[in-house]
Amino acid sequence: MMYLIEFFLVCFVISLVGIACNPSPYFGAGSLVIAAGLGCGVLILLGGSFVSLVLLLIYLGGMLVVFAYSVALASDPFPESWGNLGGYLISYVFLMVLLVFMFGEGEFISLGVSGMDSCGLSVVRVDLSGVSLLYYLGGGGLLICGWALLLTLFVVLELTRGLVRGSLRVV
Amino acid sequence: MNPIISSLLISNLALGAIIVAASYHWFLAWIGLELNTLAIIPMLAKQHHPRATEAATKYFIIQATASSIILLSSIINAWHTGTWDITQLTTHPTPTLLTIALAMKLGLAPMHFWLPEVMQGINTSTALIMTTWQKLPPMALLYLTTHQLPTMIVLLLAVLSVLIGGWSGLNQTQLRKIMAFSSIAHLGWMLTISTISNELLLFTLMIYLLMTTSMFMTLIFSTAKTTKDLGVLWATSPTLSTTTMITLMALGGLPPLIGFTPKWLILQELTINHLTPLATSIALTSLLSLMFYMRLTYITTLTISPNTTNLSMKWRFKPTKTINPSPLIMPTLLLLPITPLILI
Repeated sequence: MMYLIEFFLVCFVISLVGIACNPSPYFGAGSLVIAAGLGCGVLILLGGSFVSLVLLLIYLGGMLVVFAYSVALASDPFPESWGNLGGYLISYVFLMVLLVFMFGEGEFISLGVSGMDSCGLSVVRVDLSGVSLLYYLGGGGLLICGWALLLTLFVVLELTRGLVRGSLRVV
Repeated sequence: MNPIISSLLISNLALGAIIVAASYHWFLAWIGLELNTLAIIPMLAKQHHPRATEAATKYFIIQATASSIILLSSIINAWHTGTWDITQLTTHPTPTLLTIALAMKLGLAPMHFWLPEVMQGINTSTALIMTTWQKLPPMALLYLTTHQLPTMIVLLLAVLSVLIGGWSGLNQTQLRKIMAFSSIAHLGWMLTISTISNELLLFTLMIYLLMTTSMFMTLIFSTAKTTKDLGVLWATSPTLSTTTMITLMALGGLPPLIGFTPKWLILQELTINHLTPLATSIALTSLLSLMFYMRLTYITTLTISPNTTNLSMKWRFKPTKTINPSPLIMPTLLLLPITPLILI
């Protein structure tokens, strides 16, 4: 199972590279989606299935919205990509996942879940009490995090304030 | 910028710094640092020309990298020791990572390359915020963790900062870049004394803030951008050209002025701790900074360059900025004799 975590993390780093250097914003946002998905996979394997699900829904859902907006704004009929090895890369990834699931340590074929603290039907989920504490004793921290996220929205709106008044104009 | 958005951003700039200063859990400190960074980005890019956008981008990338290194070091510490306490950062690679991250945030050498470029791309009021307020959150974290940061690395960064701040400032004519290098050199002095005494760290920081704010308010009032612009300051406001000399000599650390006090006390503490070669080296490399302060003084106050006007006062319109720097300049001149009252 450690091999699966390692594989997910290697693919995560490769996706981060894809976010940073991409010839078209389609592929940057697409790489962000893949990176977030792989990060969620790592979280699941380490026992935090609830936070992984929350991350998937909220963050990945938000990133998909970003992807949709960049598709709408970039409007490139033939977007330039990193080269022609996309097909090879995807098929390699799928082959690896398939091989790990088939010839892994055998725990994947059995019942129940597998993770850091779990084996089969004996399950320890490490994240649930933390999340409930966030809403109980950690209320102030939750408010500050929410405020920081709201401020991010205002900052981005101010920076991209459209037409001639924004700073990120198309020159 | 819409005044509501502008006031929201300035408030959150303050809120971020206050959250960092008031926190003892690493997550809260990190949230404060991120709030601070995010809130200032639109202010940096306010002028909407490509240089300002470039400055905002560079600032954001550097500060985000440094914040994530701080978060990484606190998570490694929490993984090994189980505590998120800021004052208990003891796992092996963590204090070193934190030192490098704080140096990157403050603009200490050798991570100083972003500071002159960012300061050059923004307007002078925002450059004032960049050198004064934005130094407070990393200084708060430095104040809390200075007893466990690796001394050798801290002193190395400090000496390098004083040297590079002085040496690189010698070739500059743009005033905002000169003030950036002056900031690097002063932060080097602060980092030197942080290994010995926290009170002197705070004292040096306060005096530095006073002197830098005075200098920047003079620059804002006179809208001077280059050394050449300071040459005609005498025609705009003769009083201000005299007080500019006082402020510049205070920044250089010359005795009858307040800038001498932190340097004196730092050198005394260093020699008491038998760190005399260190004291000598930072004192000597501060002479490089003094050279460019002296050059600015010469051009501003001590000479009047040949010009074409026959009038004694420059023709100008009614100034729109009503900045009065004199309440800050008066302490720079007169505050030295209260040194015995500083209880450290």
